[in-house]
Amino acid sequence: MSESSPLAVDMRGITKQFPGVLANNHVDFSVRHGEIHALVGENGAGKSTLMNILYGLIHPDSGEIVIDGKTVHITGPRDAIGLGIGMVHQHFMLIPVFSVGENIMLGREPVTGPDFYDHSHARAAIADLTKSYGLALDPDARMGDLPVGLQQRAEIVKVLYRGANILILDEPTGVLTPQETKELFVVLRDLVKSGKTIIFISHKLKEVLEISDRITVMRRGKVVGHLTTRETNEEEIATLMVGREVLLRVDKKPAQPGAVAMKVEDLTASSDRSVPALKGVSFDLRYGEILGIAGVEGNGQSELMEVLAGTRRATGGRVVLADRDITTMDANTERDAGVAFIPEDRRGTGLVLGFSIAENSILGRERTATFSWHEFVLRLVAIRNWAMRLVKDYDIRTPSIDVAARNLSGGNQQKVIVAREMGSNPKVLLAAQPTRGVDIGAIEFIHRQIVKERDAGAAVLLVSAELDEVRSLSDRIAVMYEGKIVSIEPPDTPEERLGLLMTGGGARAGAA
Amino acid sequence: MPPIARRLAGGLAMPLGSVVLAFVIGAVIVAVTGGNPLDAYSGLLCGGLGIACSQGENPALQVSTTIVYVIPLITTGVAVALPFRAGLFNIGAEGQLLAGMMACTAIGVKFSDLPSPILLPMVLLGGMAAGAVWAGVPGILKATVGAHEVVTTIMLNYVAQWLLRYLIIGGPLQLAPGTSKSLTIGPGAWLARVLPNDNSLVIFGLPAGVFRVHTGLLLALVAAAAFAFLLWRTSLGYEIRAVGQSQRAARYAGVSVARTIIVTMLIAGAFAGLAGAIQIAGVDHNLTDIYFSDTTGFDAIAVALLGLGSAVGIVLAAILFGALHAGGSVMQADAGISGSLVFVLQALILFSIAANFIGQIRRLIPGLGRPAALPPEMPPAAPMMTEAAVPPVEP
Repeated sequence: MSESSPLAVDMRGITKQFPGVLANNHVDFSVRHGEIHALVGENGAGKSTLMNILYGLIHPDSGEIVIDGKTVHITGPRDAIGLGIGMVHQHFMLIPVFSVGENIMLGREPVTGPDFYDHSHARAAIADLTKSYGLALDPDARMGDLPVGLQQRAEIVKVLYRGANILILDEPTGVLTPQETKELFVVLRDLVKSGKTIIFISHKLKEVLEISDRITVMRRGKVVGHLTTRETNEEEIATLMVGREVLLRVDKKPAQPGAVAMKVEDLTASSDRSVPALKGVSFDLRYGEILGIAGVEGNGQSELMEVLAGTRRATGGRVVLADRDITTMDANTERDAGVAFIPEDRRGTGLVLGFSIAENSILGRERTATFSWHEFVLRLVAIRNWAMRLVKDYDIRTPSIDVAARNLSGGNQQKVIVAREMGSNPKVLLAAQPTRGVDIGAIEFIHRQIVKERDAGAAVLLVSAELDEVRSLSDRIAVMYEGKIVSIEPPDTPEERLGLLMTGGGARAGAA
Repeated sequence: MPPIARRLAGGLAMPLGSVVLAFVIGAVIVAVTGGNPLDAYSGLLCGGLGIACSQGENPALQVSTTIVYVIPLITTGVAVALPFRAGLFNIGAEGQLLAGMMACTAIGVKFSDLPSPILLPMVLLGGMAAGAVWAGVPGILKATVGAHEVVTTIMLNYVAQWLLRYLIIGGPLQLAPGTSKSLTIGPGAWLARVLPNDNSLVIFGLPAGVFRVHTGLLLALVAAAAFAFLLWRTSLGYEIRAVGQSQRAARYAGVSVARTIIVTMLIAGAFAGLAGAIQIAGVDHNLTDIYFSDTTGFDAIAVALLGLGSAVGIVLAAILFGALHAGGSVMQADAGISGSLVFVLQALILFSIAANFIGQIRRLIPGLGRPAALPPEMPPAAPMMTEAAVPPVEP
């Protein structure tokens, strides 16, 4: 990339004020032709606002946008598409029952005669695109049948079909397996080679370092750093993002596994759609260890956690907690027995969003003797003291314990759940996606708390879609694939091997 | 402004705005149809609150009449507001109220010889039990087979209305063939009046017997206080609110959603049933055909909404609706404006409350008129476990 290449995108002095928040504060953001430019920052740093302004979804209060040397006025996505800007959203905008071809053509369908969809033209156009960018896709496949990686590829082809030269990818790897991520990166490099420009929004620093040429870091609505990828490292980016030094690696001593805390035997269960989700899961979880479960999402991890926590019924098998059969126990009884559960969907199941921090801090414990008198009258003073202790011990950033959970940032919401579940010194901690969508600073904190819980003797079962998280936290790694545990591996297992196991390969090799 | 004042102002803006808006539009309607809005409203004010009476009405009597209307509105308002907190819409307060009336009358007639210390608690508890059954059935159906409570409670309203008709026209409680009223309950089941029921005594310039205000007022206020206590100070109230705001989160935390729904409806029905029992024991002392077209249980929905589901709000809203009800006839007599305007005003108040739901709908569908990706922000601190808005209304 020569320094003199003209700028593909030049956003100058962009300012956008939302009620109560300055989302973009005089942001300067420029992208050169033919580069992969990473835009990083924590949740709420203003990345999405900036990109939505570029794509015409939000109008800036002030500032100027220059595309290919011309000052432009983008009033909506239509203008942006006209200027060759395309956006691949984090959540795909696809219609599952349509074919790949129909999805790609949607809104720009080629027609013959009066108004007939022209299949052959569509096919030819897609074949053209897929050939020139090396994006293999079957235009006749039903979109809903494709794996996530290919759905994303279809999104990219859709954007290309509309003539995009500048592609904005919003957290594109969030839903991908390691293999799919690798394939995506190959595609991105090919796209750049054929002259496209890519803006890559991410908070995964490893990927940013691997794929990008330059990096813009945002924090609290401002640009805090322009970096050249090959001259920087993870620590520098993280420090800029968070505004202080961050410990990226989990600092932990070797595990001291004790007796078996939870014994799971041949457990089976169905998903919400009544298809078998667990097909005979067995493992032992010991006190003083973190057992991580790696796997591509949707392979039964969520159902496993729910069955263990008592919120989903097992169809077979047994769960034994310290010689007590808890297979059919409900969530409340299990909690009393010392099982704490951090559910994966914090906004949907972990918190009552309209409740204050204080109220959320006793969710599920509102009838315990600590917080109620004869399971009837709430002990308000005890609840307030407990909530204030949690806020202090777990570093929940809030002006008061009376703030509604809805008004906290994602990281602080997660800390409320973590605090609630860990605050009662559980024997077994079930942590599902404990740091999903959480800022780096909070991730660091939550990781330290999980390790602390282990060191205090608790048995921790961790499910995470982030392979890095599983590898750095776990003392043993169980890989789940299609409702079964295909292998249990040591934590230093190479990523490639885990990735292979997660997608159904190498299981036999591992067992042998 | 200090945060507490700002929050209070923000909380009151919606209901007060709705009422003011309704009165402004009502004034326009009166003016357009050839009346004088000032006369109309001074009539309402006199009839409802006994203030500014110009044509010789007795203010004390007007206040007494209003309070008689307010009593059942408070209790049924609570019966609607409590399920609201659990995310349930109890449209059946009317049926539950009638069930309470019928049970109260049946017991009061059957055991008419018992002394007051035994019979009065019996009729009140009997009314509560009947109301609880009437609301418990929809609760159980909702919790077990998922039948929507709006449908089942409405249907049970009809059952109660026709049961009432049967009981006093040809049924076992009928006073005499050809009448459409029931036998009178025993004196032991009567709730005492606030002023002695003695026409030889002259109070506020009138015989004391004309002031019908009765001690059911205390029971209604106790019911409102019990409602607030239950909701904010008990584990059950906590669970009711948790279920109302997020069933999934409540379930994950180990709260039995089915049990909470059933218990909520039972308690709500008991409140409505109590309203019915108080009405019979305190005012009528028998069932009459005027309750064929009673709307207290429906007005209660408006009271609960306007009162933002809080105990104090419900009492205030009940006073407003009771005053409107009582004031209508004075307005008609004094200003010559049809008492039906009162119903127009009630409807307008409801309408402008409903208009406030737009904010709620907007929040559910992001991207409609406001930026989709609004970053989180810190609000002013709000006191814990104090009255907040009911779920469907923005604070």
